[in-house]
Amino acid sequence: MSDYTVSLVIRVGIEAFVALSAYLLLLAGRISFGQQGFFALGAYAAGIATALWGAPLALGVGIGALAGAAAGALFAAPMARARGLYFAAGTLAFGELVRVALLTFEYRLPIGPDLVGPAGADGFRGIRALFTSGVSMEVYGAGIWVLLAAVVAGLIALLRSRWGEAARMLGDDEDAAAALGVRAARVAAGTIVAAGALAGLGGGLFAHYATYVEPGHADVMLGVHSLAYGLLGGLGTPLGPILGVALDIGVLESFRFLAGYRMIIFGGLVAVFLIARPRGIFDERMVRRLARAVSPKQP
Amino acid sequence: MADLLQPLADGVMLGATYSLLGLGFTLIFGVLRRLNLAFGPTVLVGIYAGSLWHWARPGSLWPVAALTVAGAVLAGLYVERCSFSALARQAPVVSMISSFAVSMQLQELVTLVAPSRTMPYPAPDWLPTIELGPILLRSDGLLMWGGATLLTVALFLLLYRTRFGVAIRALTDSREGAALMGVNVTAVGAAAFLIASAAGGAAGILIAASQQQVTPYFGLWATVKGLTAMLLGGAGSLMGAVVGGLILGVVETEALSHWGGQWRDLTAYALLFIVAAARARAAGGGARG
Repeated sequence: MSDYTVSLVIRVGIEAFVALSAYLLLLAGRISFGQQGFFALGAYAAGIATALWGAPLALGVGIGALAGAAAGALFAAPMARARGLYFAAGTLAFGELVRVALLTFEYRLPIGPDLVGPAGADGFRGIRALFTSGVSMEVYGAGIWVLLAAVVAGLIALLRSRWGEAARMLGDDEDAAAALGVRAARVAAGTIVAAGALAGLGGGLFAHYATYVEPGHADVMLGVHSLAYGLLGGLGTPLGPILGVALDIGVLESFRFLAGYRMIIFGGLVAVFLIARPRGIFDERMVRRLARAVSPKQP
Repeated sequence: MADLLQPLADGVMLGATYSLLGLGFTLIFGVLRRLNLAFGPTVLVGIYAGSLWHWARPGSLWPVAALTVAGAVLAGLYVERCSFSALARQAPVVSMISSFAVSMQLQELVTLVAPSRTMPYPAPDWLPTIELGPILLRSDGLLMWGGATLLTVALFLLLYRTRFGVAIRALTDSREGAALMGVNVTAVGAAAFLIASAAGGAAGILIAASQQQVTPYFGLWATVKGLTAMLLGGAGSLMGAVVGGLILGVVETEALSHWGGQWRDLTAYALLFIVAAARARAAGGGARG
């Protein structure tokens, strides 16, 4: 594989984690414009762990996910009960808060001859754990996709569990779910924390792929794209958001002549889908039909 | 005392434009019960239309201002068609997502047509600077305050003194009730949307003229200001949006003058976060918007 293909595969894999985190919230009836905040916090935390504290690569990435989960818990404390436009407004504010806060965040330690660490608007350079541990890009990409496959399998199992059922009930009709005994605030808080962990995990993986993170990586466009991926690819299966990512990064970005028009096409695509196919390509009916086609014996 | 009062005066003058943005936001939200996250980018399109004219033939202010409002209304029409009337049968949040998607288009559109990222915007040169004891009222602040106050009064007259205004307010009260009373809810809703876009465009003139330049970042910035003003004022109340805008303006300038530049944005976003959480609590989590 060429370097370009490898980097494309890696970027689709990383973006898929953020798309899945927005998807998880969407299933629970919550629209987030702020998953980029959890992504950036995960990226910074993972970078600090490996580059400044000398943690091994895997531990660093794990710390990124933990940071995302912790931020999710902090976010959920006042926001677990919020839904509709209030949740959306809260996530938008959160994402921008993270971005602006990172502009002032400085924490540098002398590593070898250089000062390394987050330096406000100048960003955070020198996250080199991938190279110092001798992992090639191909191996890293494979690792990302193995991790992604594990997360998708976990999500499928989770969505079939009681808890997943409860989360989807919130998405259908929260008042009815609460009337049936679903502890809405607790399920919502759990979903927010899990989504934060997923986005933070994506951030940790990204920081080590790019070796550089900056406040601009918490741009709201990342959050909106992540939300849109599920709506394009389909909400019926966790594979839907990943298909959405592949369509955007693999197709729209690869055609050079589309450069400059990408947002116009992508935004238009989302708008058209919301009118014509509001639950995406792989919506629930499509997934059921496919499942029947694969194993006809199931009812 | 002066270092408290000066930012207060600056904040009120700035906040008047936030009030106008908040009013536009509230008008759409009140009538349609839907959030238009493309509101800021609609205004952005208008400002760029005016700015392009100014760039091509600098001189008179009036065509720039007229083009700004016209551009905002045109962009508003597009957003209304794509994200609101086409999605009228779906849940309100679907319109919210769609409007954000469309706002990405508008933002890219202006960067495509504009010859440079930062575009100039003309300001009137006949405005004075007034000294009130220790407080200095700068001309750009006076422009924002005077213009926004005039437009707010005009908007209130339209809403409270005309039959059309009664129809709009009836719609915000109860869609079904208004329909039963013979109000053409689709037409009035669309008209309110366009009026809100025009009011946004007017706010855009004042803000762009006071800064004498504009960048594509203005779009999301204006959305956040309008949204914060609306939520601060109680999500639906017109007078509330005016007060909310003033509060936001004062809080921002006080933070700026006491703690410095980065705190201004940090405080503004923290305020939005806090009101969103508080509003959600007040609605008992029950509002599906």
